[in-house]
Amino acid sequence: MALTDLRDKLVADLGRDGVIDDPAHLRTYECDALTGYRVVPALVVLPRDADDVATAVRACAEHGVPFVARGAGTGLSGGALPTADGVVISLQRLRRIIEVDPANRRAVVQPGVTNLDISKAAAAYGLYYAPDPSSQQVCTIGGNVAENSGGAHCLKYGFTANHVLAVDVVLPDGTQTRLGGDAPHQAGFDLLGAFVGSEGTLGVVTAVVVRLLHTPATVRTLAADFDSTETAGAAVTAVIAAGIVPAAIEMMDNLAIEAVNEAVDAGFDPDTAAVLIIELDGPADEVEERFAEVTAVCTAATRVTIARDAEQRARFWRGRKAAFAAVGRLSPNYFVQDGVVPRTRLGEALARIAAMADEAGLRVANVFHAGDGNLHPLVLYSEAAGEHERAEALSSGIAELCVELGGSLSGEHGIGTDKACSMPRMFSTDDLETMQRLRAAFDPAGLCNPGKIFPTPRLCGERPGPYRPHPLESAGVIERL
Amino acid sequence: MRPATLAELRDAVRDTDGPLLVCGAGTAAGWAGTPSPDAARIETTGLAGITTYNPDDMTVAVRAGTPLAWLQAELASHGQRIALDAARVPAGGTVGGLVATADSGPLRHSHGGPRDLVIGVTVVLADGTVARSGGHVIKNVAGYDLGKLFCGSFGTLGVLAEVVLRVHPLPPATRTVALPCDAVEALDAVGRVLAARLEPVALEWCDGSLLARYEGGPSSVERRASATLLHSAGTVLDPTEEAEAWRRVSEVSDEPTVVRCGTRPDQFPYVAKHATRVTSSVAVGVHTVAVAGAAEVERLRAEFEHVTLCRRPPGSDLPAWGRPHASVPLMRAVKQQFDPAGRLGVGRFAPWF
Repeated sequence: MALTDLRDKLVADLGRDGVIDDPAHLRTYECDALTGYRVVPALVVLPRDADDVATAVRACAEHGVPFVARGAGTGLSGGALPTADGVVISLQRLRRIIEVDPANRRAVVQPGVTNLDISKAAAAYGLYYAPDPSSQQVCTIGGNVAENSGGAHCLKYGFTANHVLAVDVVLPDGTQTRLGGDAPHQAGFDLLGAFVGSEGTLGVVTAVVVRLLHTPATVRTLAADFDSTETAGAAVTAVIAAGIVPAAIEMMDNLAIEAVNEAVDAGFDPDTAAVLIIELDGPADEVEERFAEVTAVCTAATRVTIARDAEQRARFWRGRKAAFAAVGRLSPNYFVQDGVVPRTRLGEALARIAAMADEAGLRVANVFHAGDGNLHPLVLYSEAAGEHERAEALSSGIAELCVELGGSLSGEHGIGTDKACSMPRMFSTDDLETMQRLRAAFDPAGLCNPGKIFPTPRLCGERPGPYRPHPLESAGVIERL
Repeated sequence: MRPATLAELRDAVRDTDGPLLVCGAGTAAGWAGTPSPDAARIETTGLAGITTYNPDDMTVAVRAGTPLAWLQAELASHGQRIALDAARVPAGGTVGGLVATADSGPLRHSHGGPRDLVIGVTVVLADGTVARSGGHVIKNVAGYDLGKLFCGSFGTLGVLAEVVLRVHPLPPATRTVALPCDAVEALDAVGRVLAARLEPVALEWCDGSLLARYEGGPSSVERRASATLLHSAGTVLDPTEEAEAWRRVSEVSDEPTVVRCGTRPDQFPYVAKHATRVTSSVAVGVHTVAVAGAAEVERLRAEFEHVTLCRRPPGSDLPAWGRPHASVPLMRAVKQQFDPAGRLGVGRFAPWF
């Protein structure tokens, strides 16, 4: 009943073309890019502006109906998965760049603007928006805020949270407010910092104020081949230990190289075990000095190719950024995993992942942000051959391995639906309940993107995976009471 | 009370009745609202020292009462540092205190503040709950980031017990260029330095000069310093002058009445007009402003929402906070969830709550 009333109310307020309720059309919204989870929502609304969003959220709150905001649907953790009795608030019509302010080096944009379009709009002033997730041509800034998206260059430049000055949000009761301010100084708690990366569970973003940076004066990029992922991992540690902060250090293993060479003619050596893409950017003198140090550190490399021009550099990056999709050529199905290990344990993590893959009888391609220790193992499998469950178990096992090695369940894709049941591996009940206090402050009714981040009995069974002590805790380094 | 372990801290918070005031080294005791005199004091300085440090991972975990200056000395022996240079660090400011006050210095231009450097926290809530968020890796989006929430919380949400920070390499060399200009000219000067893409780590206007500091290789900083003078008149400072210039910047925080204020960068001239003295990270719009008195603070607050009181003369009744900004109702809701009995930091956010 509530849903029928709600639909009538939304049609009255947003217009007939602002509400989708026919089953065929609703199916388009049943999943994000984590396509294994699918739920057809009861309704989809297409607001045109912040007031429409507030109207929709308030109507949901009044009817006790859950809702989830959705940008481009490129999320990889099921963070935008609808609920069957709930509403999807699509922000695709809020795609206006409200202002580019070159004097103050910032832009004000609506949430449906794509990541790359911000940089395109800023380019006329020699400015750009730094975070660059691989999906930047399609993914929206609203989704980036929800997920605290990173990208290849966050080693030097940081994440979405470091580049957002303020957000206008509709809170889960329908009120509109602003978090953050004109500068990175807030009078009071850093609610903006807590909001960015909250995976759409604390409210719906209707405008984002982002910082813009001047494009770096010089960019130097090399691709270094190694005879094993372990030696490549050791080179990463050596670069960092030398006090160098590259803009990016990316690694691809042989399987990933095979995929991207076929897909985009990236030109990597098909016979090498691993390739590192190392990029330095900044003032010319500084980059030259440091680039010499990097090449000196890469002594274990079997070959070093320095990009001779922007075109060759772009070719390296095309290969890297196309990697996830390219892996589709090697296997009918695959899972993308996202976990983080302390960088010094990269070699160990890769060796253990290889052993786990062997044991499962499956192939794993590795393409990832090595400088951050942010792994993206791609578990290749075939639905038709009935390998789904084995592959899913291997993929979850890899994420939990990351926690065991002192890292994190997710570096940038989010917990979403996908890893909510693994959260007790990383956090105690008290940790999770404390996070829920923040949730309760923003969303006491629990209607805003429910079922994400936190394990629930319905999602995980009555007994979510047991809490196991963090390795630092076992070692007596950190305490928990 | 001066607990020396997490267990003692937890017990002290849980088993003491009534209001509690969290104190670190006391270097920011005068910031924000005046705490209730009835509160029992919990001193965090007994919770000191490094718990985990693996230099190659570029992260360090410390107990919250650790003085940052002490930590910097430890890290320096590995060629590393925390990229946080708040004025009160040499006076003994603790890591927990710097996070709780969201304090920062000129390095905010390139590295941000505590919010951008904290990657994990362990906190004790008013009811004795011990909770962690974040972790020991820099890139991590698992769960809510309570470390950021506690930035600027002034001990009102819980007690920070342990903080995990990202570290950065110590630069091999530094050079500072001083460009004499007034507050209006500073905006153009900042624009020119940034457009030259020389990447200063700090860009601070203080006492009639814009200071651009470069860090990096010895020849690179030399050449970048010289390149700055291609488009702006100024001088490359020798090491003595450089130390003196940055000392003057931190000195502004010792003036009798000081506020920290966040604005759009181009609003800096307005801020400077109301200051007796000011040091400003102009490009990011964060200003540390010494003012003559309440009237100037009021004028700043009439224009800007984010103005924090950092120092006032003893006995002054200067209000700690201005009109409530848009997210104050949410701050109250968060406070209610984390400390429903209202025990922690009573008075710090008066009159907001």
